[in-house]
Amino acid sequence: MGGYTLVTRIRHIPSKILLPLLSRISRHGLRPHAGRALFFTPALVLLVLLVIYPVLQTIFLGFYLELPGGQRQFTGLDNYRAVLTDPATINVGNLPWPPPLGTLIHNALWIVIHLPISLFAGLWLALLLQETKGASVVKSCIFLGMVTPMIVGGVILRFLLEAGVGVVPSFFGVIGVRSLAVNWMVHRELLLLGLILGSVWLWTGFSLIVYSAGLTTIPKDYFEAARVDGTPPGRMFFRITFPLLKPLTLVIVVMTILWELKIFDIVVAATNFGGGVGADTLALQVYRFFFYDSNAGKAAVVASLLTLLTLISTSLILRRMAK
Amino acid sequence: MIAIVLLIVGLLAGSGIGYLAAPRPAAQETLAVIGPWAGAEMQAFLPILDKFQKNTGITVSYSNVRQEDLRPLLLTQFPAHRAPADLIFMVSSFIREHGPTGDAVDVTDLVNPANFAVGATQGTQLLSPVTNASKIYGGIYTGKVKPGFWYRQSFFTQHSLSPPTTWAQFQSLLSDIGNISGVSAPIVSGDGVGWPLSDVTEHFIATYGGAAMHRGLTNKTIRWDATGSGTVRDILATRLVPLLAAGRFSEPLAADSTALTRWWNGQYGLYFMGSWIGNWIKALQLNPAPDLNDLRVFPLPAQSGVTPGVVFAADYMFIPTYTTHLGAAKQLFSYLTSVEGQSAQVAQGGHLATRIGVPDSAYPPGDLDVAKSLAGKEILPDLDDTIGGHFQTTFWNELIGLWTSTDPAAALGPALTAIQAAVPP
Repeated sequence: MGGYTLVTRIRHIPSKILLPLLSRISRHGLRPHAGRALFFTPALVLLVLLVIYPVLQTIFLGFYLELPGGQRQFTGLDNYRAVLTDPATINVGNLPWPPPLGTLIHNALWIVIHLPISLFAGLWLALLLQETKGASVVKSCIFLGMVTPMIVGGVILRFLLEAGVGVVPSFFGVIGVRSLAVNWMVHRELLLLGLILGSVWLWTGFSLIVYSAGLTTIPKDYFEAARVDGTPPGRMFFRITFPLLKPLTLVIVVMTILWELKIFDIVVAATNFGGGVGADTLALQVYRFFFYDSNAGKAAVVASLLTLLTLISTSLILRRMAK
Repeated sequence: MIAIVLLIVGLLAGSGIGYLAAPRPAAQETLAVIGPWAGAEMQAFLPILDKFQKNTGITVSYSNVRQEDLRPLLLTQFPAHRAPADLIFMVSSFIREHGPTGDAVDVTDLVNPANFAVGATQGTQLLSPVTNASKIYGGIYTGKVKPGFWYRQSFFTQHSLSPPTTWAQFQSLLSDIGNISGVSAPIVSGDGVGWPLSDVTEHFIATYGGAAMHRGLTNKTIRWDATGSGTVRDILATRLVPLLAAGRFSEPLAADSTALTRWWNGQYGLYFMGSWIGNWIKALQLNPAPDLNDLRVFPLPAQSGVTPGVVFAADYMFIPTYTTHLGAAKQLFSYLTSVEGQSAQVAQGGHLATRIGVPDSAYPPGDLDVAKSLAGKEILPDLDDTIGGHFQTTFWNELIGLWTSTDPAAALGPALTAIQAAVPP
């Protein structure tokens, strides 16, 4: 009882102290939105210090060359030119295959391959488990991939793909596909695909959970009416289920693209930073430029490009979602 | 209500002041050391720190961080004038770069370069500490040599094999090993981040291009992509690439686990590795326990008219400027570069001293033979460790690509071009 009273009193501190203070400010001639501004200011200060300033500073760094002794020299777009013509970013010579194709292409491949597979796998599983007994247990198991730290996921992938210990090379060895019964971690043409396909299970849980929640919101009357009209199940899916899940699909697409653009930890943990050129991503390129080449300018350029790509792709999808 | 809040604030403030003002016993000085050794190699290093602790009363804590991971850690902490340890083992290129920028303590007064030589007791080639603009920023600890291809004598005896003395014999040996039932490939390749492949490539260059070519590449006076007779491309195209194309090397496998175990168990005949291989084998914890006396090594057969070199990889260390225990760190630095400290380390096996004056009696028998075998040879620094940075990772990655290519002859040119492009000015 005493604890309850104390908690109640503490909860009332803001209303007892702040609200009279604000109303007093209000009475003394401040505009009505002054209170809102007062509450917003701390968040704004943090936002400026921790987000806006670093972003602007990063863009600024992209136009400079760092000289020994902490000096900087303005170089205009030289860093952008150097990064965009660097085979590490787009390896024209190796296009269309094999890797290394450059970090920009690698990230694009992550989106092109990983996004549809994880999205439709999640949708398919959500539909499959919709009316299944014990579905929550299966869903929890699949969702484990989502809660597994990506670093751990990368290490698991390494163990799956490494010759001698990995299930994947052993499996292909058993079924007699010798070209795939090799150490996937060192074969460039296999490493990137191995990482992309291997990490599908880490993300499928996300689309599964979102779609499962979405399916429960579709009124059953729609399906019953369609069934009475003799609509086949496939038509019901394309005419009722999928269109009604569209807002959720867009959410999944946005979140997945963001994840794929920023992909770093899985690649680092799986490749041990080595053999990485065959699977390098933009985020990893930022790291390499900064820590291995000590080139803050180029690192800032790649970071800016990454931010720009993220903003463009997300805003396009969100605009479509708003229509 | 306000009175209660004020009371709580007052109590907290009073407690804080009391905590800060209370007298405390002087904290025992503890030095933090970061080195690259883990597992059995770490177990061989800790006794040396224990001895220092007994001698001085200064406690030392050791953490192992891979040098690839240490680089970003240091580059993040240095601008904030912080360091993760008081004494750090790091590649020489990093120390040389960060000494003049004020991140490493000038230890010129602690190091006399004349006291250091490869193999130490044999008085071989002098070994330079890490200097930049005539100041010394890094000290030399012990080192390891990368002498050649290791094999098990019992395996050779069982299959009537003998170490080669000519290139033709070497090729014949590889053919014979490849024909043995149960052998996957004559030579196992180590994976890791790529350094086992760069080590074996350096051995080919140092043997058939000679010590001069290896040194020229390290000093950046020779180009990787030069064409013609006697160039790096020529050496690799005529010596290494045919072996890769013929499947004499396995695909790269995890160096200290899969590759090592399979080689020891006879699935492969040869393994190119440094002198630390004994500690690795001990760490495998095989049953029955491996007999290290079964371990033998031979270098690539020399070519007449070419002076071969052998790569000696010394372990370098430095004291970061931001240490809060400068005096104690200097004491430890001096101990590790002393005859006493290095004698204790070589006694653990797998290490060769660099400090002149370490007695022969300090070495285990096998290591003494390795140390003595260095006398009169051209000693070379590790090429990629010395250049470091982006070059090192490019070198490793291109070699991984070469090793796994289905057409190594065609892949060699582009690989050398990419390596040359990564050579810093």
